[in-house]
Amino acid sequence: MLKLGIPSFFLFILILQIKGDDFKEEIFIKPLPPSHLYVNFHFITLVNGEESFEHSHLAPRSLGEIMSRYQVEELHLTLTEGQWKHKQWGYPVLDAAPGAELYAWFSPEVIDVDAHWKKLSSTLSGLFCASLNFIENFNTITPKMSLWPTGAQKLKQNYTSQLRYASLPREIVCTENLTPWKKLLPCESSHGFSSLLNSRMIHNTNYHSIGVHVRRTCVDNNCLDTNLEIKQTVALVYDFKIINSMDWSFRKLFGQGLPGACPLSSSSKIYIDTTSNSTYRFKLSPEPNNIVLSQRGGSETELAVYNITNSVMMNIVAKYETKDKIFVNIPPPLTFTQYVLGYGKEFGGIVTELTNNYWAPIDVVLLENAPWWLPIQLSSLRINGEAESKLIMSQYYSPGKSRQKPYHLELLLRLPPKSTTTLTIDFEFVFLKWQEYPPDANHGFYIGSALISANLPTAKNYTSLPIHGNTFDSVINASKPWYPMIFRTNGAMVSLPTPDFSMPYNVICLACTVVALAFGPLNNICTKELVLKAAGTPLSLRQKIFNIFKKKKD
Amino acid sequence: MGLLSDPEYGSVKWVRILKRIHSPLCFIFYVAAIAWFFTLAHREFNNETYFSENALLPGLVTNEFNGEQSANQYFNELLQELEEKYEDSDEMPIPWLVGKMSQMHLEVYTHNFTLNYPLGQGQVYKGTNVYGILRAPRTSSLEALVVTAPYRSLSNHQKGTAAGIALMLAFAQFARPQKYWAKDIIFLITEHEQLGMQAWLEAYHGLQRESSSFYTSLGSFWQPSTSRLDLGKYAKGFEWITDHSKCLDPGTLKGRSGSIQAAINLEFHTPKFKYIEVKVEGLNGQLPNLDLVNLVHKLCVKSGIHHSYKNSYSWIRTRNKMDEWFNGIWTMLGMVSAQIAGVPNGNHGLFHRFGIEAVTLEGRDVDDPAGMAPRVQSLSYGNFYRLGITLESILRSLNNLLERFHQSYFFYMLAATNRFISIGQYMPSLCLLCGAMLLRALSLWVTLQKDVDDNTDKKESKDKEDPKDKTTDEIDEDKKEDKNEKNEDINKTKHEGKDRKETDISFSIVNMGGNYLLIHLFGYGVMNSPLLFSHIGSMYFDQPSEISVYYGLIATSVLLIFITPFLLKLRSTLTFEELSIVNILLLIELSTACLAIGMHNYPLGLCVAVLYTPLSLIVGVVDSDSRSGFCLFLKRIICLILHPLSVVSLGLIIYSRVLFPEETLLSMIGRGRDAAMQAVMFSIVDSMIYGNWLFNVGATVILPTWLLFWQILCNRVTA
Repeated sequence: MLKLGIPSFFLFILILQIKGDDFKEEIFIKPLPPSHLYVNFHFITLVNGEESFEHSHLAPRSLGEIMSRYQVEELHLTLTEGQWKHKQWGYPVLDAAPGAELYAWFSPEVIDVDAHWKKLSSTLSGLFCASLNFIENFNTITPKMSLWPTGAQKLKQNYTSQLRYASLPREIVCTENLTPWKKLLPCESSHGFSSLLNSRMIHNTNYHSIGVHVRRTCVDNNCLDTNLEIKQTVALVYDFKIINSMDWSFRKLFGQGLPGACPLSSSSKIYIDTTSNSTYRFKLSPEPNNIVLSQRGGSETELAVYNITNSVMMNIVAKYETKDKIFVNIPPPLTFTQYVLGYGKEFGGIVTELTNNYWAPIDVVLLENAPWWLPIQLSSLRINGEAESKLIMSQYYSPGKSRQKPYHLELLLRLPPKSTTTLTIDFEFVFLKWQEYPPDANHGFYIGSALISANLPTAKNYTSLPIHGNTFDSVINASKPWYPMIFRTNGAMVSLPTPDFSMPYNVICLACTVVALAFGPLNNICTKELVLKAAGTPLSLRQKIFNIFKKKKD
Repeated sequence: MGLLSDPEYGSVKWVRILKRIHSPLCFIFYVAAIAWFFTLAHREFNNETYFSENALLPGLVTNEFNGEQSANQYFNELLQELEEKYEDSDEMPIPWLVGKMSQMHLEVYTHNFTLNYPLGQGQVYKGTNVYGILRAPRTSSLEALVVTAPYRSLSNHQKGTAAGIALMLAFAQFARPQKYWAKDIIFLITEHEQLGMQAWLEAYHGLQRESSSFYTSLGSFWQPSTSRLDLGKYAKGFEWITDHSKCLDPGTLKGRSGSIQAAINLEFHTPKFKYIEVKVEGLNGQLPNLDLVNLVHKLCVKSGIHHSYKNSYSWIRTRNKMDEWFNGIWTMLGMVSAQIAGVPNGNHGLFHRFGIEAVTLEGRDVDDPAGMAPRVQSLSYGNFYRLGITLESILRSLNNLLERFHQSYFFYMLAATNRFISIGQYMPSLCLLCGAMLLRALSLWVTLQKDVDDNTDKKESKDKEDPKDKTTDEIDEDKKEDKNEKNEDINKTKHEGKDRKETDISFSIVNMGGNYLLIHLFGYGVMNSPLLFSHIGSMYFDQPSEISVYYGLIATSVLLIFITPFLLKLRSTLTFEELSIVNILLLIELSTACLAIGMHNYPLGLCVAVLYTPLSLIVGVVDSDSRSGFCLFLKRIICLILHPLSVVSLGLIIYSRVLFPEETLLSMIGRGRDAAMQAVMFSIVDSMIYGNWLFNVGATVILPTWLLFWQILCNRVTA
């Protein structure tokens, strides 16, 4: 007994010493009255110390290797289906652009950032079965003002030049992306919260977004040492109308109950935002372990917390007492929308409307990222109809190059209180080469979302974690002077002038090719004379000279 | 080039033949064109409709629509609401609609618009549209479908649309919890018929007309910014002229979805209807993609709803070929008459300009104002359930669409609900008409050339003809010499011709060109005159604008009729050549215009060509010593009848005769005049608000050509 016990005890100590990885899982549920429910999964793996990923304990080795191989300091990848509706739903924990979005900071030692970026995107493409390999130079930009690293960073270093950003709005997210994503988790999908994520139910939602966010965090306040934090997130929005009742339960949302915590996790918690309970009363069963009141930036949030320790099947149920109540939606402090103007195939315009519902001005950075086939003209930029606007505090514009570089416009704006600011910028339609049209060319071409980074003066509707926090407890009473957030507007679609790719067009192409191919030999036959020549008879010198002159004559 | 400017061809064989047979040939062309048009209605000459777009997958889904109860409930509630609160007012029950839509958890918005009536004393009309957006799950609102219904108050003289609105609401309620939608659905209820629709569409596409906003600056970045300002400076004195560009202020939309792929407009008075009329004709005769039309007809068949198009009824399928042919002809003529005016016959018609395919489904009962369909009594009544599943299957088919409508036909005519005629088949008839005009122009040119080179030596032509008689061997031998000779000859004759032109024939480009330009400027002036007339009419005579505009146009026409013949004589005496050149140019212009109009709006092009080809064939330059005075008088009368304004007036008088055969001649004329007044007024207002170009074409193309014809007929030349 003792003999057996001592080696295993030593082994256990040894494992702890080799890798002190820490894994936590959390679910945050927030009803979005009147008709939606927001469910957010967080899986956080903290990797201790300076790592080479030759050995990994809980952290996914595949991802770690990518990070160290391409010297990535910070990485954000989201794959999203659907559009978060800020006006109705408030703000998500982490916003994501429809389709695929990837941005990363490379370490300052990296000189050829573009090459590393290309390799990184291709590798991630393989890892997540997403078409990230379509990220090329012509859809990559380096934002100057709107993105900043969230992790620990050395001071006085130019991080902007090491940043690359790309989004693929046409990407369709499906099970094939979720499965490899789940494989990165220590419990995969067999135990813990991740077992709730079965794709059949997830793809029934109104909005779903999976993401991987890797960054460095400080071990302690001195920040002499850093951890690597790998955060995997899933955001789901359910529609009560589609799930056919307002009462929700885990069984209804995920098709099964919660089988308990992941045995490898150090903490497994479920937070349910019960603030809306005051207007839309609902009752949770079983009773939560405790209820936390959080004061943050002038808004009060009530959170019901479940601390899951055992592995007993569990089903959290919310039953609403009042149904079909008229709900008055109070929009969050900053709302925005983007759309395309005009009709026909000559000119168009992109409009971004930013509404500040707050009583104080809000500073935002707006990033418009137009692909090369949508040349936006800086000269046509109008803010509330004016070419010269006092609202612009800083501006960066980098014109695109055909087939090489997208158009990139960044504006630092101060939005006046209680007002709507309308930005319009015109574009001309361009003709593409005929091989450049994607399949289903008449479907239309996607314009990616604009990025809006804002420092919100109030935490109303704000659910994001503070910048230094890893887990959801850090939200509680985390008042700050301002609350940073990066939003994505909705995308848009334009239809470029498209040739008729139907049969006549193909026939014309084919016929032209055939004619061109046939013309050569026919021309040869018609214009050249075939002369019989005796083979092998040697020519005399005189004849050779004569031949030279003959040729010249011709 | 050489063919037409070669002075020697006066004696070429085809020229001689042309001169001899051109008038019967033109006549044959004309008759053949009309015959061609009518044969197109025959089964042998048109095609069965088919689906080009495979993605539509019509009728493959199992219908689940279960909202019959709620549709009836909505219908009764709406009628009750209207009777209780909106009995006397024209207003829309906005709170009721908004309430119903928000109960379903749609995103509901209202949209305000204003019309500053362009003619008259600055009346301002306001209106409100209500729309709710069903956001499709798991998409980022990139594409949308529109279901729309116009709102009509109880006091409206037209059929109400309460059942259409009720059906729409019931369908929205049914569709909201479904998870299969890939495109957003916008449920839109418009006020003031087409005005509301136009305002909503303009607002959706951002066509605001305030100077500071988007669309005025759109595409102007390549223009020097000063030019627009300058224009404004000059136009300041004529503000009432430029004012009309802002007559419809579409306002702004608070919420929107992505690019609209298709729209279905519902006009149902009551759930108890006999059959559905599918209306397709849009603004300026534009048509929706044939695939959408087929889709609607096919799904009506599948859902067991009787449907019709013009004179073609789904429940009447005759075996008799002649009957079928006549039905086809009537259907085609119905379509032609609907398209000529370019006025949409439903709210769907305004979508087409924005590249959105749309149709209207109109429910019709036995006693429909559009006339009674044969054997309609024996049909079973439709109901909300049938309608609901039709709408469901149409929208689910559209939901399947991966690409915008781009296959199938955009230019076609329908001979029945299931027979169509493509552009390739109907264009020849228009081409034949224009061909007749061009042939006439060619023959005139040829005669003219002959006159110019009347005195050229016979020898030259003989020389030219001689080589033909030679055998080919000889030609080969003589080739080089011959060529040189010929070149010299041609040069020589050209010089000679030129000299002669300068000396003998007083052909004044300035005179003719100036006249030609002036006439077209008159046309342009007439196009812009209605505002002036309405201004004057209201200022001095205190008349409503339709009367002042109509009589103003008549006065202008009379004035032009008297003035224009003298314009040619102002500078010098006329010659035969000058007038012939004018005639030729005129024929070319008219035929080109007809073809161009016909490409966009075939019925209009055809109609203009049918009316003016005979005129162009009979009009010729009049010699001063021609003796057939009666003939000339007849020609002038025909010409006067074919004046655009008198064509409209006469046409409407005849039409009112057909509608009310019991009335006396005088009251018939009065009725026709009133109708003509209205028609002219509508076409002017439509051109200002919606961009209908019938009036503009009439004033700037047809009127000047007519004036030129008149000039030619009213001037005699000295031989």
